[in-house]
Amino acid sequence: MSEHHITPLRTYLIIAASLLFLSGVTVWVSYVDLGPLNIVVAMLVATVKASLVAFFFMHLLWDDKKNLTMFLMSLMFFGIFVTITLLDTEFRGDLDLNPEVKDPINKRAAFYDTLPLTDSHGHPVDEHSDDHHEDKDHH
Amino acid sequence: MSNHNSDSPKHLKHYFANVDQQYETSKFAMWAFILTEVLTFAGLFVAYIVFRSWYPDMFVDAHKLLDVNKGLMNTIVLITSSLTMALAIWAIQKNNRKLSLLMLIATFVFAFCFLGIKFLEYSHKFEVGQLPGEYYSYMGPEVVHLNNPHIFFSIYFIMTGLHGLHVAIGMGLIAWLIYATYKGNLSSEYYTPMEMIGIFWHLVDLIWIYLFPLFYLIG
Repeated sequence: MSEHHITPLRTYLIIAASLLFLSGVTVWVSYVDLGPLNIVVAMLVATVKASLVAFFFMHLLWDDKKNLTMFLMSLMFFGIFVTITLLDTEFRGDLDLNPEVKDPINKRAAFYDTLPLTDSHGHPVDEHSDDHHEDKDHH
Repeated sequence: MSNHNSDSPKHLKHYFANVDQQYETSKFAMWAFILTEVLTFAGLFVAYIVFRSWYPDMFVDAHKLLDVNKGLMNTIVLITSSLTMALAIWAIQKNNRKLSLLMLIATFVFAFCFLGIKFLEYSHKFEVGQLPGEYYSYMGPEVVHLNNPHIFFSIYFIMTGLHGLHVAIGMGLIAWLIYATYKGNLSSEYYTPMEMIGIFWHLVDLIWIYLFPLFYLIG
Protein backbone atom coordinates (compact mmCIF):
# COMPACT_ATOMS: atom_id res chain seq x y z
CA MET A 1 0.00 0.00 0.00
CA SER A 2 2.93 2.30 0.54
CA GLU A 3 3.40 2.97 -3.17
CA HIS A 4 0.03 4.70 -3.60
CA HIS A 5 0.35 8.14 -5.02
CA ILE A 6 -0.13 10.78 -2.35
CA THR A 7 -1.38 14.01 -3.87
CA PRO A 8 0.38 17.03 -2.38
CA LEU A 9 -1.75 19.18 -0.08
CA ARG A 10 -1.10 22.22 -2.28
CA THR A 11 -2.77 20.50 -5.26
CA TYR A 12 -5.96 19.87 -3.28
CA LEU A 13 -6.12 23.45 -2.10
CA ILE A 14 -5.53 24.86 -5.60
CA ILE A 15 -8.23 22.58 -7.06
CA ALA A 16 -10.75 23.54 -4.38
CA ALA A 17 -9.99 27.24 -4.90
CA SER A 18 -10.45 26.82 -8.67
CA LEU A 19 -13.78 25.05 -8.10
CA LEU A 20 -15.05 27.86 -5.89
CA PHE A 21 -13.81 30.48 -8.36
CA LEU A 22 -15.52 28.71 -11.29
CA SER A 23 -18.77 28.49 -9.28
CA GLY A 24 -18.64 32.27 -8.96
CA VAL A 25 -17.91 32.61 -12.68
CA THR A 26 -20.86 30.44 -13.64
CA VAL A 27 -23.25 32.53 -11.50
CA TRP A 28 -21.84 35.79 -12.86
CA VAL A 29 -22.01 34.67 -16.49
CA SER A 30 -25.64 33.57 -16.06
CA TYR A 31 -26.59 37.23 -15.57
CA VAL A 32 -24.91 38.20 -18.85
CA ASP A 33 -27.24 37.73 -21.78
CA LEU A 34 -25.45 35.60 -24.35
CA GLY A 35 -28.60 34.25 -25.93
CA PRO A 36 -28.38 30.55 -26.72
CA LEU A 37 -24.69 30.61 -25.75
CA ASN A 38 -25.60 30.90 -22.05
CA ILE A 39 -26.32 27.19 -21.69
CA VAL A 40 -23.18 26.32 -23.66
CA VAL A 41 -20.96 28.41 -21.39
CA ALA A 42 -22.70 27.06 -18.26
CA MET A 43 -22.18 23.46 -19.36
CA LEU A 44 -18.58 24.17 -20.39
CA VAL A 45 -17.76 25.60 -16.96
CA ALA A 46 -19.58 22.70 -15.26
CA THR A 47 -17.58 20.20 -17.31
CA VAL A 48 -14.28 21.86 -16.41
CA LYS A 49 -15.32 21.70 -12.73
CA ALA A 50 -16.42 18.07 -13.06
CA SER A 51 -13.09 17.17 -14.70
CA LEU A 52 -11.16 18.79 -11.86
CA VAL A 53 -13.19 16.78 -9.34
CA ALA A 54 -12.81 13.52 -11.27
CA PHE A 55 -9.10 13.80 -12.05
CA PHE A 56 -7.83 15.25 -8.78
CA PHE A 57 -10.30 14.55 -5.98
CA MET A 58 -11.26 11.13 -7.34
CA HIS A 59 -7.60 10.44 -8.18
CA LEU A 60 -8.34 9.36 -11.77
CA LEU A 61 -5.22 11.17 -12.98
CA TRP A 62 -2.94 8.79 -11.06
CA ASP A 63 -5.15 5.69 -11.21
CA ASP A 64 -4.86 2.76 -13.52
CA LYS A 65 -6.55 3.92 -16.75
CA LYS A 66 -9.16 1.16 -16.56
CA ASN A 67 -11.01 3.26 -13.97
CA LEU A 68 -11.05 6.28 -16.26
CA THR A 69 -12.25 4.03 -19.08
CA MET A 70 -15.14 2.85 -16.93
CA PHE A 71 -16.12 6.43 -16.14
CA LEU A 72 -15.88 7.58 -19.76
CA MET A 73 -18.00 4.61 -20.82
CA SER A 74 -20.80 5.80 -18.56
CA LEU A 75 -20.64 9.20 -20.29
CA MET A 76 -20.61 7.52 -23.69
CA PHE A 77 -23.76 5.54 -22.83
CA PHE A 78 -25.34 8.76 -21.61
CA GLY A 79 -24.53 10.31 -25.00
CA ILE A 80 -26.20 7.43 -26.84
CA PHE A 81 -29.21 7.66 -24.51
CA VAL A 82 -29.64 11.40 -25.18
CA THR A 83 -29.07 11.16 -28.94
CA ILE A 84 -31.53 8.38 -29.61
CA THR A 85 -34.19 9.93 -27.37
CA LEU A 86 -33.86 13.33 -29.05
CA LEU A 87 -34.10 11.69 -32.50
CA ASP A 88 -37.64 10.85 -31.43
CA THR A 89 -38.75 13.85 -29.38
CA GLU A 90 -37.25 16.57 -31.57
CA PHE A 91 -38.82 15.39 -34.81
CA ARG A 92 -42.31 14.34 -33.77
CA GLY A 93 -44.99 15.21 -36.28
CA ASP A 94 -42.51 16.27 -38.96
CA LEU A 95 -43.98 13.81 -41.43
CA ASP A 96 -47.46 15.40 -41.06
CA LEU A 97 -49.05 11.96 -40.80
CA ASN A 98 -50.67 12.97 -37.54
CA PRO A 99 -50.53 16.71 -36.89
CA GLU A 100 -51.67 16.28 -33.27
CA VAL A 101 -48.39 14.62 -32.39
CA LYS A 102 -46.48 17.84 -32.93
CA ASP A 103 -46.23 19.94 -29.77
CA PRO A 104 -48.46 17.49 -27.94
CA ILE A 105 -48.52 19.18 -24.56
CA ASN A 106 -47.91 22.79 -25.32
CA LYS A 107 -51.17 24.03 -23.84
CA ARG A 108 -51.78 24.78 -20.22
CA ALA A 109 -52.48 21.53 -18.40
CA ALA A 110 -56.17 21.02 -17.59
CA PHE A 111 -55.76 20.82 -13.83
CA TYR A 112 -54.74 24.48 -13.68
CA ASP A 113 -58.35 25.45 -14.32
CA THR A 114 -59.63 23.62 -11.26
CA LEU A 115 -56.83 24.53 -8.85
CA PRO A 116 -57.47 26.45 -5.67
CA LEU A 117 -55.38 29.53 -6.36
CA THR A 118 -52.69 30.68 -3.92
CA ASP A 119 -50.54 33.78 -3.86
CA SER A 120 -46.78 34.03 -3.25
CA HIS A 121 -47.31 33.46 0.48
CA GLY A 122 -49.37 30.35 -0.02
CA HIS A 123 -52.63 32.08 0.95
CA PRO A 124 -55.66 31.20 -1.13
CA VAL A 125 -56.86 33.85 -3.52
CA ASP A 126 -60.17 34.00 -5.36
CA GLU A 127 -59.81 34.76 -9.04
CA HIS A 128 -63.49 35.57 -9.44
CA SER A 129 -63.96 37.67 -6.33
CA ASP A 130 -66.80 39.64 -7.99
CA ASP A 131 -69.36 36.87 -8.08
CA HIS A 132 -68.45 35.56 -4.56
CA HIS A 133 -68.07 32.14 -6.02
CA GLU A 134 -66.36 29.68 -3.67
CA ASP A 135 -64.33 26.99 -5.37
CA LYS A 136 -64.22 24.00 -3.09
CA ASP A 137 -62.38 21.50 -5.22
CA HIS A 138 -61.62 18.07 -3.94
CA HIS A 139 -58.62 16.30 -5.40
CA MET B 1 -5.53 -19.36 5.06
CA SER B 2 -2.78 -21.94 4.99
CA ASN B 3 -1.22 -20.49 1.86
CA HIS B 4 -0.61 -17.19 3.61
CA ASN B 5 2.39 -16.72 5.75
CA SER B 6 1.84 -15.35 9.21
CA ASP B 7 3.05 -11.83 8.44
CA SER B 8 0.42 -11.12 5.76
CA PRO B 9 -1.78 -8.18 6.83
CA LYS B 10 -4.97 -9.13 8.65
CA HIS B 11 -7.14 -7.05 6.30
CA LEU B 12 -5.96 -9.10 3.31
CA LYS B 13 -8.70 -11.50 2.20
CA HIS B 14 -7.50 -14.98 1.44
CA TYR B 15 -8.80 -14.87 -2.14
CA PHE B 16 -6.45 -12.04 -3.13
CA ALA B 17 -2.80 -12.57 -3.96
CA ASN B 18 -1.67 -9.39 -2.23
CA VAL B 19 -2.92 -6.11 -0.82
CA ASP B 20 -2.34 -4.20 -4.04
CA GLN B 21 -4.49 -6.60 -6.02
CA GLN B 22 -7.18 -6.34 -3.35
CA TYR B 23 -7.05 -2.53 -3.41
CA GLU B 24 -7.15 -2.30 -7.21
CA THR B 25 -10.05 -4.75 -7.40
CA SER B 26 -12.05 -2.76 -4.87
CA LYS B 27 -11.42 0.43 -6.75
CA PHE B 28 -12.39 -1.01 -10.11
CA ALA B 29 -15.62 -2.37 -8.59
CA MET B 30 -16.29 1.06 -7.11
CA TRP B 31 -15.97 2.62 -10.56
CA ALA B 32 -18.35 0.02 -11.95
CA PHE B 33 -20.81 1.18 -9.29
CA ILE B 34 -20.16 4.82 -10.24
CA LEU B 35 -21.05 3.88 -13.83
CA THR B 36 -24.44 2.59 -12.69
CA GLU B 37 -24.91 5.75 -10.64
CA VAL B 38 -24.19 7.96 -13.64
CA LEU B 39 -26.68 5.96 -15.69
CA THR B 40 -29.31 6.29 -12.95
CA PHE B 41 -29.03 10.04 -13.14
CA ALA B 42 -28.68 9.89 -16.94
CA GLY B 43 -32.37 9.01 -17.29
CA LEU B 44 -33.33 12.08 -15.30
CA PHE B 45 -30.94 14.30 -17.26
CA VAL B 46 -32.54 13.02 -20.47
CA ALA B 47 -35.98 13.93 -19.08
CA TYR B 48 -34.61 17.39 -18.30
CA ILE B 49 -33.17 17.83 -21.81
CA VAL B 50 -36.34 16.64 -23.57
CA PHE B 51 -38.72 18.82 -21.55
CA ARG B 52 -36.45 21.85 -21.68
CA SER B 53 -36.29 21.58 -25.46
CA TRP B 54 -40.10 21.33 -25.55
CA TYR B 55 -40.69 24.21 -23.10
CA PRO B 56 -37.69 26.59 -23.27
CA ASP B 57 -39.69 29.61 -22.05
CA MET B 58 -41.40 27.77 -19.20
CA PHE B 59 -38.01 26.65 -17.82
CA VAL B 60 -36.78 30.24 -17.84
CA ASP B 61 -39.95 31.47 -16.07
CA ALA B 62 -40.13 28.67 -13.53
CA HIS B 63 -36.46 28.76 -12.57
CA LYS B 64 -36.95 32.32 -11.32
CA LEU B 65 -38.94 30.80 -8.46
CA LEU B 66 -35.75 29.12 -7.18
CA ASP B 67 -33.39 30.92 -4.81
CA VAL B 68 -29.98 31.36 -6.49
CA ASN B 69 -28.34 32.37 -3.20
CA LYS B 70 -29.35 29.13 -1.51
CA GLY B 71 -28.21 27.19 -4.55
CA LEU B 72 -24.83 28.94 -4.59
CA MET B 73 -24.47 28.44 -0.84
CA ASN B 74 -25.09 24.72 -1.31
CA THR B 75 -22.53 24.63 -4.13
CA ILE B 76 -19.91 26.20 -1.88
CA VAL B 77 -20.81 23.89 1.02
CA LEU B 78 -20.58 20.79 -1.17
CA ILE B 79 -17.28 21.76 -2.83
CA THR B 80 -15.79 22.46 0.60
CA SER B 81 -17.02 19.11 1.86
CA SER B 82 -15.38 17.47 -1.14
CA LEU B 83 -12.11 19.18 -0.20
CA THR B 84 -12.34 18.02 3.43
CA MET B 85 -13.11 14.48 2.26
CA ALA B 86 -10.03 14.52 0.00
CA LEU B 87 -7.97 15.89 2.89
CA ALA B 88 -9.25 13.13 5.20
CA ILE B 89 -7.82 10.58 2.76
CA TRP B 90 -4.62 12.61 2.41
CA ALA B 91 -4.23 12.65 6.19
CA ILE B 92 -4.80 8.91 6.60
CA GLN B 93 -2.27 8.27 3.81
CA LYS B 94 0.20 10.22 5.95
CA ASN B 95 -0.97 8.16 8.93
CA ASN B 96 -2.30 11.29 10.66
CA ARG B 97 -5.39 9.72 12.23
CA LYS B 98 -6.32 12.77 14.28
CA LEU B 99 -6.40 15.14 11.29
CA SER B 100 -8.24 12.54 9.23
CA LEU B 101 -10.90 12.25 11.94
CA LEU B 102 -11.23 16.03 12.08
CA MET B 103 -11.66 16.26 8.31
CA LEU B 104 -14.27 13.49 8.30
CA ILE B 105 -16.26 15.28 10.97
CA ALA B 106 -16.01 18.51 8.95
CA THR B 107 -17.29 16.66 5.87
CA PHE B 108 -20.19 15.30 7.90
CA VAL B 109 -21.05 18.77 9.19
CA PHE B 110 -20.94 20.27 5.69
CA ALA B 111 -23.19 17.48 4.41
CA PHE B 112 -25.61 18.29 7.21
CA CYS B 113 -25.51 21.99 6.23
CA PHE B 114 -26.30 21.04 2.64
CA LEU B 115 -29.38 19.09 3.68
CA GLY B 116 -30.37 21.88 6.06
CA ILE B 117 -30.33 24.48 3.27
CA LYS B 118 -32.17 22.02 1.01
CA PHE B 119 -34.77 21.56 3.75
CA LEU B 120 -35.33 25.34 3.90
CA GLU B 121 -35.79 25.42 0.12
CA TYR B 122 -38.14 22.45 0.07
CA SER B 123 -40.26 23.63 2.99
CA HIS B 124 -40.76 27.02 1.33
CA LYS B 125 -41.83 25.32 -1.89
CA PHE B 126 -44.23 23.03 -0.04
CA GLU B 127 -45.70 26.05 1.70
CA VAL B 128 -46.45 28.00 -1.48
CA GLY B 129 -47.37 24.97 -3.59
CA GLN B 130 -44.48 24.97 -6.06
CA LEU B 131 -44.79 21.22 -6.24
CA PRO B 132 -44.50 18.46 -8.82
CA GLY B 133 -47.29 17.39 -11.13
CA GLU B 134 -50.86 17.77 -9.99
CA TYR B 135 -49.78 18.93 -6.51
CA TYR B 136 -48.67 22.22 -8.03
CA SER B 137 -50.85 25.08 -6.84
CA TYR B 138 -48.71 28.23 -6.94
CA MET B 139 -50.40 31.00 -8.87
CA GLY B 140 -48.38 33.99 -7.55
CA PRO B 141 -48.17 37.39 -9.26
CA GLU B 142 -46.10 35.96 -12.11
CA VAL B 143 -47.88 34.39 -15.05
CA VAL B 144 -45.84 31.19 -14.84
CA HIS B 145 -48.95 29.05 -14.46
CA LEU B 146 -49.88 29.79 -18.05
CA ASN B 147 -47.30 27.33 -19.36
CA ASN B 148 -47.08 24.24 -17.17
CA PRO B 149 -44.48 25.03 -14.50
CA HIS B 150 -45.50 21.83 -12.69
CA ILE B 151 -43.31 19.93 -15.18
CA PHE B 152 -40.26 21.96 -14.15
CA PHE B 153 -40.96 21.23 -10.51
CA SER B 154 -41.50 17.52 -11.18
CA ILE B 155 -38.01 17.32 -12.67
CA TYR B 156 -36.54 19.64 -10.05
CA PHE B 157 -37.87 17.63 -7.11
CA ILE B 158 -36.96 14.23 -8.51
CA MET B 159 -33.41 15.22 -9.49
CA THR B 160 -32.55 17.22 -6.38
CA GLY B 161 -34.46 14.68 -4.26
CA LEU B 162 -32.45 11.74 -5.56
CA HIS B 163 -29.30 13.81 -5.14
CA GLY B 164 -30.34 14.68 -1.58
CA LEU B 165 -30.90 10.99 -0.89
CA HIS B 166 -27.32 10.39 -2.01
CA VAL B 167 -26.12 13.09 0.38
CA ALA B 168 -28.04 11.41 3.20
CA ILE B 169 -26.59 7.99 2.36
CA GLY B 170 -23.14 9.59 2.11
CA MET B 171 -23.61 11.03 5.59
CA GLY B 172 -24.34 7.56 6.93
CA LEU B 173 -21.21 6.18 5.26
CA ILE B 174 -19.08 9.06 6.56
CA ALA B 175 -20.46 8.52 10.06
CA TRP B 176 -19.31 4.92 9.81
CA LEU B 177 -15.87 6.11 8.60
CA ILE B 178 -15.62 8.42 11.60
CA TYR B 179 -16.32 5.44 13.86
CA ALA B 180 -13.80 3.20 12.05
CA THR B 181 -11.09 5.86 12.09
CA TYR B 182 -11.75 6.62 15.75
CA LYS B 183 -11.45 2.92 16.56
CA GLY B 184 -8.12 2.85 14.75
CA ASN B 185 -9.26 0.34 12.12
CA LEU B 186 -7.94 2.49 9.27
CA SER B 187 -4.35 3.51 8.69
CA SER B 188 -1.95 4.33 5.87
CA GLU B 189 -1.61 0.56 5.40
CA TYR B 190 -5.34 0.04 4.92
CA TYR B 191 -7.74 2.87 4.08
CA THR B 192 -9.67 1.27 1.21
CA PRO B 193 -13.14 2.06 2.67
CA MET B 194 -12.25 5.73 3.01
CA GLU B 195 -10.96 5.92 -0.55
CA MET B 196 -14.14 4.27 -1.90
CA ILE B 197 -16.54 6.38 0.14
CA GLY B 198 -14.46 9.37 -0.96
CA ILE B 199 -15.12 8.50 -4.60
CA PHE B 200 -18.83 8.20 -3.85
CA TRP B 201 -18.84 11.54 -2.07
CA HIS B 202 -17.05 13.28 -4.96
CA LEU B 203 -19.63 11.82 -7.35
CA VAL B 204 -22.35 13.48 -5.27
CA ASP B 205 -20.43 16.76 -5.65
CA LEU B 206 -19.96 16.14 -9.37
CA ILE B 207 -23.68 15.68 -9.98
CA TRP B 208 -24.52 18.83 -8.04
CA ILE B 209 -22.01 20.73 -10.23
CA TYR B 210 -24.40 20.03 -13.13
CA LEU B 211 -27.67 20.38 -11.22
CA PHE B 212 -26.80 23.87 -9.98
CA PRO B 213 -26.50 25.64 -13.36
CA LEU B 214 -29.25 23.52 -14.93
CA PHE B 215 -31.87 24.54 -12.36
CA TYR B 216 -30.77 27.79 -10.76
CA LEU B 217 -28.95 29.60 -13.55
CA ILE B 218 -31.11 29.28 -16.67
CA GLY B 219 -31.07 32.23 -19.04
